[in-house]
Amino acid sequence: MKDSNFSDHVPAHANLRRRGFVFGASALAAAGWTAGGPGSWFLPAAWGQGKKAIKMGIATDITGPIAPSGNSNWQVAQLAVEQINAAGGIAGRPVELFLEDTASDPKAAVANVRKLIQRDNVDVVLGGITSAMRQAIKDPIVNRGKTLYIYPQLYEGQECTKHLFNTGPTPAQQCDELIPYLIKTVGKKRFALPSANYVWPQLLNKYARKVIQANGGEVVFEEYYPLDQPEYSATINKIRDGKVDCVFNTIIPPGLQPFTKQLYESGFQKNGGAFACVYFDENSLNYVAPSELEGVYSCLDFFHSVDDPYSKELLAAYAKKFPDTKYLFTAGSAATGMYRGIRLYEAAVNTTKGDTAREAVSAALDKTKIDKGPGGAAAMVPGKMHAKMNMYVAQCKKAEGAKLRWDVISKYNMVDPREC
Amino acid sequence: MLDLLRFVFDIVAFTAVMVLIVLGLGVIASMMGIFNFAHGELVLLGAYTVSAVHDAGYSLWLGVLAAPIVVGLFGALLERTVIRRFYASPVIAMLGTYAIGLIIREIVRGLLGGQFRLVPEPWPGSWSLAGMDFSIWRGFIIVTTLAVIAGSWLLLTRTAFGLRIRGSLANPMLARACGISTDKLYAATFAFGAALAGLAGALVVPLYQLSADMGLRFLVQGFLSVMLGGVGTFEGPILGAAAIGALASGLPWTVPPVLADPLVFVIALVIVKFRPQGFIGGARK
Repeated sequence: MKDSNFSDHVPAHANLRRRGFVFGASALAAAGWTAGGPGSWFLPAAWGQGKKAIKMGIATDITGPIAPSGNSNWQVAQLAVEQINAAGGIAGRPVELFLEDTASDPKAAVANVRKLIQRDNVDVVLGGITSAMRQAIKDPIVNRGKTLYIYPQLYEGQECTKHLFNTGPTPAQQCDELIPYLIKTVGKKRFALPSANYVWPQLLNKYARKVIQANGGEVVFEEYYPLDQPEYSATINKIRDGKVDCVFNTIIPPGLQPFTKQLYESGFQKNGGAFACVYFDENSLNYVAPSELEGVYSCLDFFHSVDDPYSKELLAAYAKKFPDTKYLFTAGSAATGMYRGIRLYEAAVNTTKGDTAREAVSAALDKTKIDKGPGGAAAMVPGKMHAKMNMYVAQCKKAEGAKLRWDVISKYNMVDPREC
Repeated sequence: MLDLLRFVFDIVAFTAVMVLIVLGLGVIASMMGIFNFAHGELVLLGAYTVSAVHDAGYSLWLGVLAAPIVVGLFGALLERTVIRRFYASPVIAMLGTYAIGLIIREIVRGLLGGQFRLVPEPWPGSWSLAGMDFSIWRGFIIVTTLAVIAGSWLLLTRTAFGLRIRGSLANPMLARACGISTDKLYAATFAFGAALAGLAGALVVPLYQLSADMGLRFLVQGFLSVMLGGVGTFEGPILGAAAIGALASGLPWTVPPVLADPLVFVIALVIVKFRPQGFIGGARK
C-alpha cells in the first residue's frame, strides 16, 4: 500500500473512520505490522476553518518493540489536543495533529520525521521515546529543520540542546527523593545496581551512586548485562554474598523477567530485602508476576493513585475516549511527559499571543508553567531546558484479590531537574 | 557445601532449559539434515499455546499438555506444505525456515499487541533448604528434561519406528528399496522435533514471560550447541547444549556478565576449530 497521506482537504470524519479501521479493525493492526503500513496520519480540528491552524507534529513509535509506549503517547496527544480545541484552541487558533510513525527504528525515523518538517511544515514536534530515538531525530528537527522539539520521556539527562525541551523526569528527580527515603526511612544501606548495558542505566547509576554515598549508603556492586540475558544466578549469588539489602534495578525487558523471577525465588524480598525500580508503573503489572512485584518501590511523576482532582479527571477522560485500550496513560511510557509537553506548549503560545515562530515560542516556553496536569503542576526551569514537577515515591501493594496497585507513600513538590 | 549445592542447582537448571530447547532442533538437524531457523518460533508457539489455553480459562497444565500436540500438528502441516520442498537444498532450507519463523513471529507480535504477557508457573513456589530457596518449577524442568531425553532415546533406539528413522538416516536409498516410506518418516520426524519445541516453549515460558522475541534469544546459542555437539547423532546436540548452557550460566560467576556473553562463543568456536566434527562425530557425512 502506498504511504497514506491525508494532509489536505479530507473531511474529519473520513480520517477518523480510516484511522479507526486501521488501528481498531484487528488486534493485528495494533502493533507489530511494521514498515510499509500507513505511517502518516492527520487529525484536523473540527472548527476554525479560515483561521490559520497551529500544526503539531507527533513523532512516536506506533509499530515495533516500543509500540506499546508509542501508542499511549499518540492517544494522550489526541486527548490533550481535543481538550485544547474544545476550549477554543491556542490564542484563538485551532490545533491540528500530524503523526509520523518512528517505528522503533532510528534510521526509518529520520526520514519520517523529515516529512513532518518539510511536507507538513509543523510548528513543533513532540515525541521520541528511547534515547537512541531522540539522538537520531533531534538533528533533523532542531538543526536542519529549525523546528521546536519537545522530548517527553524519563531519561538519563545531559540533553542541553537549544530549542529541545525535556518534559519527563531526570535522574535527579527520580533519585533525590527515593534514595534518601530508602536509606533513612526504609533503613537500607547496602545497594546493588544490576543494569541493562546501555546509556540510560549507565548515567542513572552514576547519579544514583552519588546520592547513595551522600546519604551514608554503600554500593556493593554495579553490574551491566546484555539486554536479553536469560540467566542471573551469578548476580543473585552476589546479592546474597554481599549482604545486599536494596536492589536498585535498571534491567529492562526482555532481560527483566528472568531477573525478577530469580530474585524472588532466592527469597530476597521474603528475607526483608527492598527492591526499587524507577521505571515501574501501572504497565509493569502486566509483565512482572504479582508476587515478584509486591513491595517494589518506584519514583515517578505520576501514578494512577495520585491524590489530585485534575489527574483523576484526566484518567477518566482518557478511559472515556479510549475504552478498553491496552495502552495505559502512565508515566513510564512517556505519556505524562507528552501531555505536559503539549500543555506547556499551549501556555507558551498563549504568551506569544498565537505567534508560533520558533525563537518567540522558545523564549516563552523557557519560562512557562502550567498549574495542572498528570501528577499536578509543572514549570520549565529558565535556561535549563528541563521541567520542575511533582515526584511521587510509591510502593506496589496488594489490592483486592491477586491484583496489585501503586500506593503513593509521599509527594515531593516541584522537584528540581538539576540539568544543564 | 550448601553454596556448592546452590551453584550446581542453578547451573543444572539453566542447562536443562538449554537442552530442552535444543533437543527438537538437534533431532531435526541430525535426522533430516535441515537446519530449522524457525525453531525459536516453534518454541514461541508452544509458549503461546499455554497462554491462550490459560486465557480461555482452562488449567495451565492442560496448556502444557496441549502445546506439544498443537505445535507437533503444526510441524506436520509445515513439513507437508513447505519443508519437504527443501530437502534437496539445505542452504535454501535455512532461508526458507527463517522466513517461516519471521512470519510466525510477527503474527504472534500482532496478536500480543507488541506487549509482554505474564504466564504463571503451573506449580509455583519454592522448596526451602537450610535458609535457601529452590524453585519448584526449575526442579520440574530438570526432571522433565531428563525424562524427555530418556523417552526420545528409547524411541529412537528401542522401537521399530526408531530403527526405520535411523535406517533412513544412514542410507535413504536403501531404506526406500526396503519398502520404508522415507517421505512419511521425515514428516513424522519433523513433527516430533516440532512437538519437542512446543513442549520446551510451554515449560520455559513462565521463566521468561511471553513475547514475540522469546524464541530468538535461544536461536544462535541453539545452533552453536548443535555445531559443538556434532550433527548426525542424537546425543551430540544434547551434549553441546549442556556445554553451552553450563558455560553461559557458569561464566558470569567469575567474569563480568557483559564479557561472559561473547566469551561463550569464543570458547565454543575454539573447540569447534580443534574438533570440527563436534563432540561426537556425525553419522551424516
